[in-house]
Amino acid sequence: MLKRRAADPVFIFGFILSVAFVGIAILYPLGKMLSTVVSVEAIPYFERFLLRPTFQLIIARTVILGLVVGACGTLVGFVFAFFQARVAAPGWLKKMAHWMALIPVVSPPFAVAIAVIVLFGRSGMISYKLLNLRPNIYGLSGLTLVMTLSFFPAAYLNLLGLMRALDPSHEEASANLGASKLRTFMRVTLPMLAPGIASSFLLLFVEAIADLGNPITIGGDFDVLASRLFIAITGEYDLIAGAVLSVILLVPGLIVYLVQKYWADRASVVSVTGKPVGQHQPVRDWRVRVPILVFISFCTFLIALIYLTILFGAFTNLIGIDNSLTLKNFDYVLNGVGQDAFSDTTILASLATPIAGFLGMLIAFLVVRGKFVGRGALDFGTMLGLAVPGTIFGIGYLLAFNNPVTIAGITVLPKLTGGRAVFGGALAILLVYVIRSTPAALRSGVGALQQIDPAIEEASTSLGGDAFTTMRRVTLPLIRPAFLSGLIYAFSRSMTTISAVIFLTTPEIKIMTQQIYNETDTSRFGNAFAYVVVLISIVLVAIAILSLVVGTRTGAERERK
Amino acid sequence: MQGAKRKVFVDFVLQLNFLLCTLNFALKITKNIMSDYLSLENVTKRFQSPEGKDVTAVDSANLDIAKGEFVTLLGPSGCGKTTTLRMIAGFEFPTEGRIVLEGKDIAMLPPNKREMAMVFQSYALFPHLSVYENIAYGLRLRKMSGATLDKTVQDAMDVVNLKGMGKRRPAQLSGGQQQRVALARALAIKPKVLLFDEPLSNLDAKLRVSLRVEIRQLQKRLGITSIYVTHDQSEAMSLSDRIVVMSAGKIMQVAEPREIYLHPNNPFVADFIGQANFLDGVANSVNGEMAEVNVQGQVVNVPCQVALKPGPCKLVVRPETIKLGTEGTFAGRVKTVSYMGSTVEYALESMGKIINVVDHDATWQRVFNEEDDVRWTFRADRSYAMS
Repeated sequence: MLKRRAADPVFIFGFILSVAFVGIAILYPLGKMLSTVVSVEAIPYFERFLLRPTFQLIIARTVILGLVVGACGTLVGFVFAFFQARVAAPGWLKKMAHWMALIPVVSPPFAVAIAVIVLFGRSGMISYKLLNLRPNIYGLSGLTLVMTLSFFPAAYLNLLGLMRALDPSHEEASANLGASKLRTFMRVTLPMLAPGIASSFLLLFVEAIADLGNPITIGGDFDVLASRLFIAITGEYDLIAGAVLSVILLVPGLIVYLVQKYWADRASVVSVTGKPVGQHQPVRDWRVRVPILVFISFCTFLIALIYLTILFGAFTNLIGIDNSLTLKNFDYVLNGVGQDAFSDTTILASLATPIAGFLGMLIAFLVVRGKFVGRGALDFGTMLGLAVPGTIFGIGYLLAFNNPVTIAGITVLPKLTGGRAVFGGALAILLVYVIRSTPAALRSGVGALQQIDPAIEEASTSLGGDAFTTMRRVTLPLIRPAFLSGLIYAFSRSMTTISAVIFLTTPEIKIMTQQIYNETDTSRFGNAFAYVVVLISIVLVAIAILSLVVGTRTGAERERK
Repeated sequence: MQGAKRKVFVDFVLQLNFLLCTLNFALKITKNIMSDYLSLENVTKRFQSPEGKDVTAVDSANLDIAKGEFVTLLGPSGCGKTTTLRMIAGFEFPTEGRIVLEGKDIAMLPPNKREMAMVFQSYALFPHLSVYENIAYGLRLRKMSGATLDKTVQDAMDVVNLKGMGKRRPAQLSGGQQQRVALARALAIKPKVLLFDEPLSNLDAKLRVSLRVEIRQLQKRLGITSIYVTHDQSEAMSLSDRIVVMSAGKIMQVAEPREIYLHPNNPFVADFIGQANFLDGVANSVNGEMAEVNVQGQVVNVPCQVALKPGPCKLVVRPETIKLGTEGTFAGRVKTVSYMGSTVEYALESMGKIINVVDHDATWQRVFNEEDDVRWTFRADRSYAMS
């Protein structure tokens, strides 16, 4: 089969490109790291990390954090999605809740952490000034709050898509057979959403244990693997310790991933026919509506409060202490020291975005429509870019690309990281941006492609179109919204990520998120907030431009009457 | 002297041989051009099932299709008819065998190089393009543009009665209209072979009948060679020049509709096309296409397979060739009666099995009730004996 399909040069080229990308940018650094970890020098590290009670505590804390954030974030995401898809509410309220839920996506994760410290910390504007309390926000409680608010949008978007895709006839059938609304929800709706809930939980679990920005900002003495790893690299310059910790960090995520994949693959019942079906009846029962509305309002208010704090803080000398208005923070970010970080980050993210978008669609096409052996492996390999914590890639890249890559004495790849690397290490950062963004584009591409009847593409080839024509004139226009969301994700992800790139920045290439961390670390909150505001603005402008250029619709939608 | 004679003789034989060879070759070429427009030669498709077993979807299929002919692939689901069609279209490639179009083997050619067009069961219209752009799609790929393009598209819309609907999106059309667009889109590129994959099965019964009449008229008028896959025998009977009955990956019979119904090759075909009662009999003697068969002591002269040999045989008796009454050759008891208005259908218990009867003359005949004892006969000249 492959032999004959391969007659199509477009297909072959795409295949080689994808395999090369996955091989060089994802598998090679991971392999390099694993080989470091299984070497003889690594044995004492394993003893140190796995046998000492202090480290066992760190591992336990990491898992607990992942579980708690996974559960809380999925719950909040579920309520938001249910509210959006199923509950009767005024349109403006739904719109507002939707946009509020999306703001955390386009901001660096620890922006929330800084604002929470300012608002609810020991000398917080609300906790101390308003309520005269002195709570200890540093630790698990603060981390849970901050991470839930930062990561729930992923669960929200995932579950919202599923809820909207559910065929209402299943629920109608249940009601028709005599089940109450509650029973229908418990016995039909929820089980059908279970795989989506599981995948959201997994995503949040992995995000939580991999996150670096929040633990080093608001973690306090609640040490987790990610923050310990950060210290090992930046404080102790110990790459082997970093690699060993990375592998330990990888294990819980990998276990959850495999369990979920094995289970979700069997349990998946969501049926997408692609044919227009009826509409869900919105929930009007006040016993359901009121608690949900209260919850949504509270969360929306909290998010609004946090981001208003950031906005306000960006324009003040030192928020909470000296609230006089000033523009000096922006002057610092846009014209002063921050200028390089601002331009470097934007340029790199702008480069990574189209690359990740196209790679994602290309691999999605190969995975869904290709008939070659190993397309599952290609999918898996690409997904590693997101499933594996960013810190691990940071270390993997340091190990793999700190020296030129040579095969039989011929330099295949120049030195990508550290001092005197090509483009000041920018290429490594660009690659990391791409590998971190491609998986999301791939998933949305796969989802969109699976909804397209293969016969539509066959019709095109049957009418004389080759693979390239079919892709350009039929497939791509039909997956345009997925492509757009892939691009938007890629850009915002690249702009806001810190965990992978914090190890890869060089004196020549500065990254905004890292600058934000530096400013926070030295308690210059004004500068940090100004960075965050600028960063969010860039992302929002980019989303507007992308939506305009790519277009949000396929043209296949039914006209609303 | 002897040698010379011999030489003349040898020369004569050689020349004759040469002549015959040439004639044979010429005949073959003529045959290729005249009748075998599209041929399947030992086409086999094997693939791996998800459990890892080898499955033969199509088992050395041989089929010759003439230019302008309308051929239907008919069979139950899973019989390999769709796989066969998809191999002709180029969406699947045969494991073995050749697919020859106008003398060229196209078996390994990709679909876009085959000059065929397919009408899909799901219509497969491009949802993001208007009706006009859907029809223009294949034409634009052939570098047609301007007035020629417009005229061709308009003509195609005309042919399928979609005049003035060019601006609409597929989602704004009914199922029947969508299928017309799909047909127009396929016709517009003037394909060498038009392929249909159960194109009417998503439509309601009345629309199905009217559209199939339209398809047949169009096909005859335009003279396009067509291959049509369906599991609906009435569709196959009404549309086709010839029907290919398939079962379990094998071609069971290829013949005109009438021939298939009257002279089925084997019990499967007899049972699949229409209803059939199988009576056990013994052929006393076989004389070409007629046989003398003893059924339950009754000796009848019936048409038969040429290959039939004297001995035990099966007699295919269609339900509508049976006459019920108070007198007749065989005895039976009515088990069920279905009054259908224009016809009455009975299930009789007779000869230790169930015999199905359709009475098309219900207006004039007595209608029997359940548990009535009846007598019955059948028209021997409309039955068919097979081994």
